Amino acid sequence: MKCSRCKKLACVALPSHTAGFCKDCFPLFFTKQVETAIRREKMFTHDERILVALSGGKDSLTLMLELKLQGYDVTGLHIDLGIPNSSEKARKKVEDFCRLHELKLEVLEMEKEGLPIPDVKKYVNRPVCSVCGKLKRYHFNRIAREGGYDALATGHNLDDEVARLFANTMRWDTAFLSDQGPTLPAADGFVRKVKPLFRLSEFETANYAFLKGIEIHSDPCPYASGASFTNHKELWGELEYRSPGQKFQFYQGFLKRGKPAFAAIEKEIGASLHPCSECGSPTSAGICSVCRIKAAVAKAKANDPALKE
Amino acid sequence: MITVNLEPDGEVIELHRTKSVLGALNKLKLRSTMAIVVRDGELLTSDRKLRPGETIMVRKVTSAG
Repeated sequence: MKCSRCKKLACVALPSHTAGFCKDCFPLFFTKQVETAIRREKMFTHDERILVALSGGKDSLTLMLELKLQGYDVTGLHIDLGIPNSSEKARKKVEDFCRLHELKLEVLEMEKEGLPIPDVKKYVNRPVCSVCGKLKRYHFNRIAREGGYDALATGHNLDDEVARLFANTMRWDTAFLSDQGPTLPAADGFVRKVKPLFRLSEFETANYAFLKGIEIHSDPCPYASGASFTNHKELWGELEYRSPGQKFQFYQGFLKRGKPAFAAIEKEIGASLHPCSECGSPTSAGICSVCRIKAAVAKAKANDPALKE
Repeated sequence: MITVNLEPDGEVIELHRTKSVLGALNKLKLRSTMAIVVRDGELLTSDRKLRPGETIMVRKVTSAG
């Protein structure tokens, strides 16, 4: 296969674009997709400060490097979850990456927050992935607000977005369907959230990370249970193979024709938000779910006979 | 025979009678956009030929998300 741009030997084939690219032209294609996403979805400008959530995986590190190369003012934020034999490896990848590329980095340690994820797993009677995700989103937003950042960027790609949309649609979850999208404007104590990789597939970010020599943390989380999103991604991978471009069509169609309808419904029936009486973060209850989780873990630990003497 | 280093699983798999990247992916039950394939540091598209005795790295791209 030849490169669609320069006709040299291609190293990446993209059926959804009916195109292939060589190692020099693929990053140009990638950059253009990110530029288009930022411009069309009005994500941020070169005058704004962007906080980038860094897990150590291919998507977040790719996003960070690409935004830096495009000249944006970016700072990374890594959350050390405190999971033995896992979190320290992810953190090292992120720290090495930021040192190598001279990128600013903040690290939040869940241990110091009083909520290391092993405690959450042990003491909270809910799926640990769901609670962990909630805690991360809470701290990303809090740190972005407290640090005066204009936007919080995450490395969610097209496959992540389609899998999430599919899951939300399967449940007809109007609250999530009303605000899923590549840009979520700042409101009610929430910083603006953006997903500049939403036009690019997981395959495309994996190729970019490889070509740029990014050392990624690819070990699965020891607490992950083979989440349903992975199954949804496999289903969509098969659909995309049979009909290239279908993922992007599904997602774009939702943004144009589906989301406005769900947003209208949610405006009628959605819960209003107030500051949490403990931490000030926005919540529809008196005390936010993160403060409730924190209190529940502290209480369970205090009553744990294994921790007494 | 082709030797496959499968990531992130960390498995080493030997494939017999495999003459192309597409053939290797088919035997691994992967579609061409579900993994990147690398030989000697070079990314390969699925139409590239493989020769007996070669080693490739196949890295699955799906993250738990």
